[in-house]
Amino acid sequence: MQRLVLRIATRPLLVIMLCLLISAAALLAVFDPLGVRLRTEIDPSIERLLPSQDSSRALYERVREQFGAGDAVIVAVQLDDLFTPAGMARVEQLQARYAALPGVSAVLSLATAPALYTSEDDLDLSTFTQQARAHPERIAGFRQRIADNPLYRNTLVSADGRKAAFAILADGVSERQFLHDDYPALIRAATRAVAGDAPVAITGTQVGRAATARALIDSLKFTVPAVFAIILVLLLLAFRSWRATLAAAATVGLALLWTLASAVLLDMPFNLVTAIVPALVVTLGLSYTIYLLSAFHDALTRPWLENDRTARTRWVLNRAGLGLLLSAATTSASFLSLLTNDLPAIRHFAVLASLGSVYATLLSLSFLPSLLALTGCARRRQVPPSQGMLAALAVRLAAFDQKYRRWIIFGALVLIPLDALFALRIHAGAEFSKSFPASSEVRRDYEAINRDFDGANLLSIYIDTHVNDALTDPATVGQLDALQEWLRAQPEVGAVVSYVDHLKLLNRGFGGDDGAPLHIPESAAAIKQLLVFGGGDAIRRVVDPRFRSALIQLRIKVDGSRQVDALVQRIDHRLAAMPPPLNGVVTGSPLLATRTVQEIAAGQFLSIAIATLAIWALLSFMFTSIRAGLLALLPTVVPVAIYFGTLGLLGIDLSPTTCLIACIVIGIAVDDTIQFLARFNADARAGAAEAPAVTSALSAVLRPVTLSTVALCSGFLVFAGSALETQVQFGLLSAFTLFLAWIMNITLTPALGSKLRIVTMWDILRLDLGESPQYTIPLLSGLSLRQARVFALLSSLEKHPAGTRLIREGDLARDIYVVVDGQLEVWVERHGEHKRLSTLTRGAVIGEAGYFGQRRTANVDTLSAVRVLRFDSQDLERLRLRYPRIAALVLRNLNRIQAERLARATAMLQ
Amino acid sequence: MHVVVRCQEVARRAGRALLALSLCGLAATAAHAAAAPAGASAVLECMRANVPKTLTVRDIQLSASDRKGSTRTLQGRIYASREDDKLRAMIRIAAPADLAGAAYLLRERESGDEMYVYMPALQKVRRISGAAIDGSLWGTDLSYADVKQLTNAFSGAQPKLDRDETVAGRAMHVLSVAPTVAAARFDRVRAWVDARTCMALRVDFEQAGVAQKRLTIEPGDLQQSGSYWYATQILVSDLKQGSKTTVKVTGITPDKELADRLFGPATFYLGN
Repeated sequence: MQRLVLRIATRPLLVIMLCLLISAAALLAVFDPLGVRLRTEIDPSIERLLPSQDSSRALYERVREQFGAGDAVIVAVQLDDLFTPAGMARVEQLQARYAALPGVSAVLSLATAPALYTSEDDLDLSTFTQQARAHPERIAGFRQRIADNPLYRNTLVSADGRKAAFAILADGVSERQFLHDDYPALIRAATRAVAGDAPVAITGTQVGRAATARALIDSLKFTVPAVFAIILVLLLLAFRSWRATLAAAATVGLALLWTLASAVLLDMPFNLVTAIVPALVVTLGLSYTIYLLSAFHDALTRPWLENDRTARTRWVLNRAGLGLLLSAATTSASFLSLLTNDLPAIRHFAVLASLGSVYATLLSLSFLPSLLALTGCARRRQVPPSQGMLAALAVRLAAFDQKYRRWIIFGALVLIPLDALFALRIHAGAEFSKSFPASSEVRRDYEAINRDFDGANLLSIYIDTHVNDALTDPATVGQLDALQEWLRAQPEVGAVVSYVDHLKLLNRGFGGDDGAPLHIPESAAAIKQLLVFGGGDAIRRVVDPRFRSALIQLRIKVDGSRQVDALVQRIDHRLAAMPPPLNGVVTGSPLLATRTVQEIAAGQFLSIAIATLAIWALLSFMFTSIRAGLLALLPTVVPVAIYFGTLGLLGIDLSPTTCLIACIVIGIAVDDTIQFLARFNADARAGAAEAPAVTSALSAVLRPVTLSTVALCSGFLVFAGSALETQVQFGLLSAFTLFLAWIMNITLTPALGSKLRIVTMWDILRLDLGESPQYTIPLLSGLSLRQARVFALLSSLEKHPAGTRLIREGDLARDIYVVVDGQLEVWVERHGEHKRLSTLTRGAVIGEAGYFGQRRTANVDTLSAVRVLRFDSQDLERLRLRYPRIAALVLRNLNRIQAERLARATAMLQ
Repeated sequence: MHVVVRCQEVARRAGRALLALSLCGLAATAAHAAAAPAGASAVLECMRANVPKTLTVRDIQLSASDRKGSTRTLQGRIYASREDDKLRAMIRIAAPADLAGAAYLLRERESGDEMYVYMPALQKVRRISGAAIDGSLWGTDLSYADVKQLTNAFSGAQPKLDRDETVAGRAMHVLSVAPTVAAARFDRVRAWVDARTCMALRVDFEQAGVAQKRLTIEPGDLQQSGSYWYATQILVSDLKQGSKTTVKVTGITPDKELADRLFGPATFYLGN
């Protein structure tokens, strides 16, 4: 590790060139210079968030394949004179305009719907507009004719009779083209050309997707530069150095570029979930650079590092390296826990976010210090602003945390079950139309059409009998008719249509009586003949050529996943009651979106559990203690619990974006805990006292922790400016939860840490006890090297120069010393004479008499520079509690040493 | 919103399309085709002059398959004649059993087309008017408008003769024409006309330069009845939807006197 640090420190130019080379390749991956366009893909579809092998999605695709694409763009135009010859003429003109739009294969409206006029033996199948032209006297009856027709009711004309609807099938238009050419704008222009300023509303799946894609693009365009702007301002305010600020911004920029390149190379599009990644990477990168710059700034205050660039970089990397690497590890582990989710979008988020976190860390530890070294930032030494104020605050906080330690811990422990109780109210759900602000055109239009036409969302029921011609059996048709009546009675359902309605209309038309009630023909032959010879295209879209499977289409008035799920559950129950050979299953975009949300919720708690366990394992490894790992986790668990409690309390649904927050916060918040505990541990060991260490550690980390929290919260709050409500919610809740984590880290963490002496893995790895201490130091006999280091770290490793009095005869002290290296003299003064008793070297134990309550019996001076381990009964007790195996061996060895000494003394006396 | 706005397109256009197809697409004389025509009008003339005065298609089979391969098959017989250059045509379904006896009559009149449909299960004859022309014919991939292109595309509009091509070793004249039928779904029809038989062996129905539907006749399926050529099998594919319809003809009888009752609104469905 030190070799790598040295390489980075000695070759800053090479490091920068290497990073820029990789970045150039990343740029080529992201940007197509020939096509002058970004290669990143935007996928606004929520149903494609589901895995391709998902059964719901497979059924949806199968039904679409069999019966053709059913997603139409719905246009509602307000024509106050609709039921007049002029109004009908306008409908025809609009029809022609819409049909002329590129990629439009059909437009369905009053201008294409047969008005079904029967007189004597004639059946007039001309459209409403054709009849309006040929027989203006019939216009007066159109309204009633439409109301009587289940196919047209609230479909061609709104309930108030003022708005004409057009269903535009633009299946020849790709999503990209629909977005690029702005089809809603084209439709509005076409409408304006015919109907002037008549109010027009446009909705449909393609419209929703285009609006979502545009909102995602706008969100990316807004959030990323906004977070960058925040970086510049915050870094400038914090460090008062343009060079440092620009260096940090460049670091974050490269991390973002590498992440985008990874997205392109891994073929991961930006969708409702992964669109969060760019701003998240920038935000995380910002917090990492703050830690590095803080260490760099710290280095500038050390006079011996002032003129030695290499030494300074090494010092900075050693100071910040562990914390940043651990941060990257915990953050990545937390993100990667989302890989357990079945949704590809969530897994893509996990991969991209963790990659971004790793890139930001690596660049912060290589590119940034190299850039700082080369740009001469060291020449600008300034006192960090706000340091004095934060230092004073840290002192007060430390005192508060220690004074109210029990209350703070008690409060935190109470909050967890309390919030868990509130969290029981959480539901997985999403209001898809409400992803957009109430004032947005796409939502206004959706709500207007949903209101005026009794629903704007389509669900389908796929009926399969597996028997040819089964759907021409009058009994079966009767069953389906009864099912449709039941469906119409559901409050969420606006309209229901199937081939049964076509059949009844055909039967009445061929029966010759316009006023006769609609009914099903009595024979299978009549049904089949009507469907085959009278059906046409409309029938092909709802029943297969062998009459064994069919589609019942529902227009529903709700789009919230919970409402859709409730309806689908009722329908499923009703379908299960159908007699054989009828089998039915619900499908459609709203159902897929609902399933997506349910999948997310199902994986949520597993992901959180895995993230928590992974971080606990990491912390336990780093702090070499399961208990220490658990305690270090507590300040992270509490804000997450509060977050879920808040969701339950405020009735906020667990959506595709809000479900990400917990894992993100767990990964980020734990970093600050680690920063504090690591610093506290070092200070407590150096000063051999916890209370001052709490103050010094808090003073040291409060500024970077606060700065990084401000940076992270600001970064997440930028999402509040997004056009998508889901992203706004994500930003606000993330910032809120991270703020809670900050509160915990400046109160609960010090309260917990004040009684916790921890040993980090980094300490163990770095600690030098000389060669094979377990063999050369009798007190450590039987221990492994790691155990020997753990014991040493729970004791105090002291350095003393030659000529130091370590123990003074007659003093009352309970410390025991073990010589690690150097030479000491044990002597007494008798009758004014310096009398050397012995000379001690490595492995010798000194002062054990004090441990057993006696006064010091001799003086001990250092003859050379020495290193000694000092411990007392409290240390041994702590060791016994935390590491009982190590304690047992140490106490055994101590006992053995005492016994040997006693035996020697007895032998001397004899 | 439901896309099922347009519903009833009754058998009028269906029968009419099939009859037109029979008259124009299936039969053409070899006599006129022997000499290779020079321009577009000559190619059209060669094709048009080949329609016989009367025609009986002994057995026609329509098999419509959706994109999943689910297929419905109809069998029937077609009778057609021209009276004062106006078409009279009737088709009667023979199979399957539950559709047998259904009949369709088309009569071209100065005042407009007359169409009648008879369904045995309802025991009623209905005169149909006002149906759309671009809808599916009995659930097949054929529409009246499509066939109208074949029948009339090559008249009324300004056909353009593109560069001749050789397909599968056969010389072809390539005609392209903009449809004259109002509200047609396609903005161009291209036909590859066999130079030897004057039969259109391939017809592409295009929208914005992309073929949406394709009619194909394999040269091996061309047969001669007297002086007339006809195809024993035609494949119509909806390239966008993935569905296809196969039309099979077992044989034709041209220029034979046909009884008037076959074309009378009160009698067309009677008898065998």
